[in-house]
Amino acid sequence: MIRFLKLYEKIGIFILIILGGVFLAIASPNFFRADTIFSIITQGTYGGIVAFGMVLAITSGGFDLSVDAVVALTSVILAMTIPDLGIPLAIIVSILFSCVVGFLNGVLITKFGVNPLITTLSMATIVRGVAFLITRGRQIPISQSEFMFVGTGKIWVIPVPIVIMAVLFIIFYLLLYQTSLGRYISAVGSNESASAISGLNVTFIKIMVYVLVAFTASVVGVIRTSQALIGIPSMAPGFTLTVLTITILGGTSLSGGRGNLLGAVFAGIFISMIYYGLNLIGVAYFYQMLAVGLVLIFALFIDGLRGRYLEVARIRGIKV
Amino acid sequence: MVDERSRRIKHKAGELWGNFGLPFIFITVLIFFSVQSPIFVSWRNLLSAMGFSSYIAIGAIGMTFIIMTGNFDISIGSMLALVAVLGSSFIPRIGGVLGVISTLIIAAILGLINGLFVTKLRIPAFITTLGMLFIFRALAFIYTDNYPVYIDNRFWLFIGNGKILNIPFPIFLTVICYTVAYLVLRRSPLGRYVVAVGTNSRAAELSGINVDNIKIFAFTFAGFFVGIAAVINTATMGAANPGLLGQNYEFQVITAVVLGGTLLGGGNGSLGGALIAAMIITFLGNGMGLLQVGSYWQLIVTGLVMIIAVSLNKLKFYLLGQGEL
Repeated sequence: MIRFLKLYEKIGIFILIILGGVFLAIASPNFFRADTIFSIITQGTYGGIVAFGMVLAITSGGFDLSVDAVVALTSVILAMTIPDLGIPLAIIVSILFSCVVGFLNGVLITKFGVNPLITTLSMATIVRGVAFLITRGRQIPISQSEFMFVGTGKIWVIPVPIVIMAVLFIIFYLLLYQTSLGRYISAVGSNESASAISGLNVTFIKIMVYVLVAFTASVVGVIRTSQALIGIPSMAPGFTLTVLTITILGGTSLSGGRGNLLGAVFAGIFISMIYYGLNLIGVAYFYQMLAVGLVLIFALFIDGLRGRYLEVARIRGIKV
Repeated sequence: MVDERSRRIKHKAGELWGNFGLPFIFITVLIFFSVQSPIFVSWRNLLSAMGFSSYIAIGAIGMTFIIMTGNFDISIGSMLALVAVLGSSFIPRIGGVLGVISTLIIAAILGLINGLFVTKLRIPAFITTLGMLFIFRALAFIYTDNYPVYIDNRFWLFIGNGKILNIPFPIFLTVICYTVAYLVLRRSPLGRYVVAVGTNSRAAELSGINVDNIKIFAFTFAGFFVGIAAVINTATMGAANPGLLGQNYEFQVITAVVLGGTLLGGGNGSLGGALIAAMIITFLGNGMGLLQVGSYWQLIVTGLVMIIAVSLNKLKFYLLGQGEL
């Protein structure tokens, strides 16, 4: 069993993707066209990009339930500032505002000692409220159509969101596995008090983590706003669940200390394949909710099994 | 010497806050809205607001048990929607009384499922119940195809709208539920086990308590009360709407429990505190509604109240010398 679980950890998500691919190829004759595959991957980037941030958060022993609200906040700030500031500056401003939300999350969690669940859940409500408040509940159209390039343009043949994800993947990969900050994040997640005793600035590390989560969420906010060309205060309801599902399905352990970024990329694509398949069948949107919820429970089931078997193995003195 | 004195002063302040903090907030809220709005202070409005508070107050009972045993359940809003549409759709076939009973049973079973997942697979509760939040809501949509179920059964409607001696029936229900929960928590071995698991789950396990079963009990118990809240809520609305029911419910209930003085992460809890806190939250909503505060501001205020409640709680336990800041 333990061997199976270790194998699953390495290649499980690829098997899921291949199975999904075979299924979709049978179900849809259009599946093997380049633009179909690119569009599935593009859909997968939204969850995948935020999952990079979530991988850091879970590795550090926390998590963030406010990402869907941050996506919406970015969207409305972007749409409101674009006429005055121009596209590049508006993108920077909206991302900065979102990072402030992440900063507040981090401060509340570290300085006020509020539980991450409560902090980020409350922050989601507050940020969503602010997004509605500053737009008075309306959607804000964007007239600069060249802004669409960010979400729908192509560099050579590759859609821009995929390029953005690739760049962010490299940055987060280097950050998590090659820098001291990345090692500190893992250390804090494995054993917080030991890290504090050995002189790590736990407060700073955790605040950085939440800022980075908010950053990834705001990047997705920019991409999706660009595709819709509208700032939407109610954008991305339920997106947090998708992100958490992708993160855990990608093999990041909930007990902290071990993150898996590459798994997150493929888990994002797998979830996107499920959406594509459900759209093929033409069922209502709430079946997507059900599917993602079930996949999450499945991923948790595997994670839970792994934890149990590792424990048994440790007690029996088997090296794994 | 100085340390000892400051420790004593801190302890005193903590006790003072623990005993009188909530009533103080409650009275402040009452006075504030009474000054602002003459309608608020009318007997009618206060009674009906208290009736409404039963929706949060009854849900808070089970959540107190869950949080005491060191877990969370954030699926209760969707659970409420699912059991409400299921139970109310049974009415034409089995009648109101059996409909209510089946609602309660289904709710308890859903709670049981949550509990099994959390304990047997050792998955953190928040994430299991987050998954369930979506599954329950999706099932409610799928079952009704996104159409509301209208309720015209007198027994069912009475539970939410009925009055005895001009007092809304939900108030009686709240009193009954709290009495039962109090007896379970403080006067039965089961309650002692819950407290034991909450304060020190390792010690409880070593002394022979089946910790998993106690946690599963807490989830099941909570599901049962969510069932009661579901009947009350749908009865006041006259329909069970799969999309609208229980929106933000988990949030309000957890705020009530935390504001009521139950420490997140497990430990001893306070049912009375949860009841007062549920009323504070309902009166806040009622008062803001009367003052025509926009719903967007209300969202922001609910979020802030939650964070403040947790921080105050933290402060109380710090002052009492039972926790770090």
